[in-house]
Amino acid sequence: MRKVAAIALAAMMLTACGGGSSGGGSGASGGAKVSLSKSLDGASKAPACQTSPVTGGTLVYARQQTTENLDTLKLVNGNGDIFASNLLFQGLTRPDPKGTPTVQPAIAEKWEVSSDGKTYTFHIRPGIKFSDGSPITADDVKFSLDRFGNPKINQTLAAVAVGYDSTKVIDDSTVEVKLQFPVASFLYNISIFPGFIVPKKPLEAQGDAFWKKPIGSGPFVLKELERGSHITFARNPNYWDEGKPYLDEVRFDFATDSNSRLLSLQGGQAQIADGIPFSQVNSLKSSKDLTLQTAKVPYFVGLWLNHKRAPLADLQVRQAMQYALDRNEINRAIFRGVGTIPNSQLMALKYDAPASQIKPYALDMAKAKQLLGQSKFAKGFDISLGYPAGYDYYKQLGLYLQNAWGQLGIKVKLNELDQASLSDRFYKGDYDMVFPYSQFTSDLPVPDEYAQFVAEPKSGLNGFFSFWKDDAITQQVRKFVATTDDSARAQQWPEIQRAINEQSPFINIMDLPFINAHANNVCGTDVDALGSDHLEDAWIAKG
Amino acid sequence: MARYLLHRLALGIVVLFGLMVATFLIVHLVPGDPIRQALGGRASPDQVAAIRHNVGLDDPLPVQFWDYLKNALSGNFGTSFVQNASVGELVGHRIAPSAILIGYGMFVAIAIGVPLAILAAVRPNGVTDHSVRLVATLSFAMPLFWLGLVLALVFGLKLGWFPVSGYESGVGGVMRTLTLPAFTLGLALTVVVVRVLRSSLLEVLQTDYIDAARARGFSERRIVGKHALRNAVMPTITILAINVGFLIGNTVVVEAIFRIPGLGSLLVEGVQRSDYQLVQGLVLLAGATVVLASLFADLLQAFIDPRVRLAGR
Repeated sequence: MRKVAAIALAAMMLTACGGGSSGGGSGASGGAKVSLSKSLDGASKAPACQTSPVTGGTLVYARQQTTENLDTLKLVNGNGDIFASNLLFQGLTRPDPKGTPTVQPAIAEKWEVSSDGKTYTFHIRPGIKFSDGSPITADDVKFSLDRFGNPKINQTLAAVAVGYDSTKVIDDSTVEVKLQFPVASFLYNISIFPGFIVPKKPLEAQGDAFWKKPIGSGPFVLKELERGSHITFARNPNYWDEGKPYLDEVRFDFATDSNSRLLSLQGGQAQIADGIPFSQVNSLKSSKDLTLQTAKVPYFVGLWLNHKRAPLADLQVRQAMQYALDRNEINRAIFRGVGTIPNSQLMALKYDAPASQIKPYALDMAKAKQLLGQSKFAKGFDISLGYPAGYDYYKQLGLYLQNAWGQLGIKVKLNELDQASLSDRFYKGDYDMVFPYSQFTSDLPVPDEYAQFVAEPKSGLNGFFSFWKDDAITQQVRKFVATTDDSARAQQWPEIQRAINEQSPFINIMDLPFINAHANNVCGTDVDALGSDHLEDAWIAKG
Repeated sequence: MARYLLHRLALGIVVLFGLMVATFLIVHLVPGDPIRQALGGRASPDQVAAIRHNVGLDDPLPVQFWDYLKNALSGNFGTSFVQNASVGELVGHRIAPSAILIGYGMFVAIAIGVPLAILAAVRPNGVTDHSVRLVATLSFAMPLFWLGLVLALVFGLKLGWFPVSGYESGVGGVMRTLTLPAFTLGLALTVVVVRVLRSSLLEVLQTDYIDAARARGFSERRIVGKHALRNAVMPTITILAINVGFLIGNTVVVEAIFRIPGLGSLLVEGVQRSDYQLVQGLVLLAGATVVLASLFADLLQAFIDPRVRLAGR
């Protein structure tokens, strides 16, 4: 253990000092991925986890992102806030805690949808209670959904409330939700934080103070939030799924520094840590005491192109740039083989067609040169690339792209920027090419959210700040998001995926997983399709 | 003396006002809109505009500054939109770990630096002198994040004497959790104490009155400890006061390594999210601390050395 720790630390220091070593000689591309996903299977099959779950114990989780705020309609600190609120609250539906991209009954036990797709009747689970023991009534549900549908209150993610009209209380345990038009992803939209159900009376009585000691119906209740340090959750004794959660207590220790997270894990202060840096993957894989866990989530390294720049608005130029990339090499050298080569230019989403059906762009320098030669920019051009400071892999990726596109005569100027300036330029459209976020993810496992962000002009987001526009794709997307029949959607989406892939309005360099590491005796740590822990199935094995 | 103090105090206020103007301008002119950044790309432009209006970010800059100044004078440093809490509340929650860390770090620097400086000065250019200066310089030259990691690895992970990170309150908790961070912070400052005190001690030890004291047969311990040190310590106090700013800056790094919920990490969060109110409040607080520290150093000098007191008259 100590030896492993020492090696890991030595590696950390090297990366810290040298600004990141390049990953020469580590792991083969395809093989590493397979063996990694096998080690994930090994997680639940670890000898300690073979017995049936035991109740009790405290799990300390070293977390990359801090939690500042628990007001479910004002979560502005990304996954730091969202993942914490996922333990405290639930909606009528919830994402499958085991990770499939589906929704399951939560507060609603069952529901019916009208044939026109505009009316949903939800039946509240009999006997279900809030964490304070009071029953969840139809009034609470109506109150919460009306807040969800009010863009003045729902500040962070009003986009998921699109089409919401009203909720009618039928009886104590039944509500009828009306939509203005069919919204195919509605059950997904209400499964995440803006759709969480909260008790009407205490929230109305306490106002903002409610969120300091919130009442929900998730598997855990808030024990303490110490900003900048930790958030502690205790078991919700009134949780509807009897016998769960298994843990008495969960503590998220905020450790924004990756070295600090790993030290906590190796020193035994924490039993699980998220945000494992790619540079640590190999040394952790060989650790006997720790299990590495990767989860497929809609998370990608999306390079955004500004279509107000003439060369980038040229289809042949964009395709030439795609063909000049050796994604196998990028995956091996920079992402240590944990990535997946994408065949979609958006993050990996439900209904995506497999690589056999839609082929990923493969390295073909001759084709790249030919395409660029046919364009108006045959001689190449100068262009800048912005990326967030403080991440060794973005720096490495920038250098790789500079070299790869340099061979086509495209001179890339690298521009490392702090997140605030980077976002500012991105949202103002004042950039050429940019990796806009350190972690670019979707809020939903289904494509509806990002398809509309990029292709629905009514969103007011200008092709999600790319200024790209394609009327045919917009029409396809409009049809897709209004189609409630799941099998029809499964046929429509691959066509959109193919069209966007060909157009390449932005460049998906790589699909990435979320990577956790935990002690071998921590069991049942599956995450949902969005990468969030639910921890109601987590337990600590003895010995 | 009173006049001197008043003069210093007035100067301090001018400095702080200048600091307020400068921070206000910097946070507002540097690119980055806290509302857009907090809401991300997903919010519509109308929504962003509405919230900007609600929190007064669409007022002209002079109006915003006047509001800030007015409120600050009445002790209200605004509300952080991002954290959904008042700046006063946020700072109040997190000032203790940082204050203790800085105090403890200063103590480490003095407790290690003063004896080493004396050892070095008593036999200048001897083996002890050279090795003391070498070790102190090495610890200064090491990057803080590296020194911190090494201490955490050796004393936290290998020997298990301290936790590798985290913070607990109470005397026992502070000793457990802040000792490694305080050494990380303090060792870097030790070299300053050693170098400055050593050279001023050397100077003083060559003066006539020390020769006179030696001639009267006082013990070397009494000569160095009582007569020489008292005179030699002045520049060190000044330097330490100046270095309070250095310590505050370094807490940013040290708090991140050791996961201490202090003001340094709060400042980083604020800057990353262009949290105007929070950054303004924290910078003002840091500035006020530096001004007060140098005022305190002046008072201490006056207390130790009557010449300073008299000169002020």
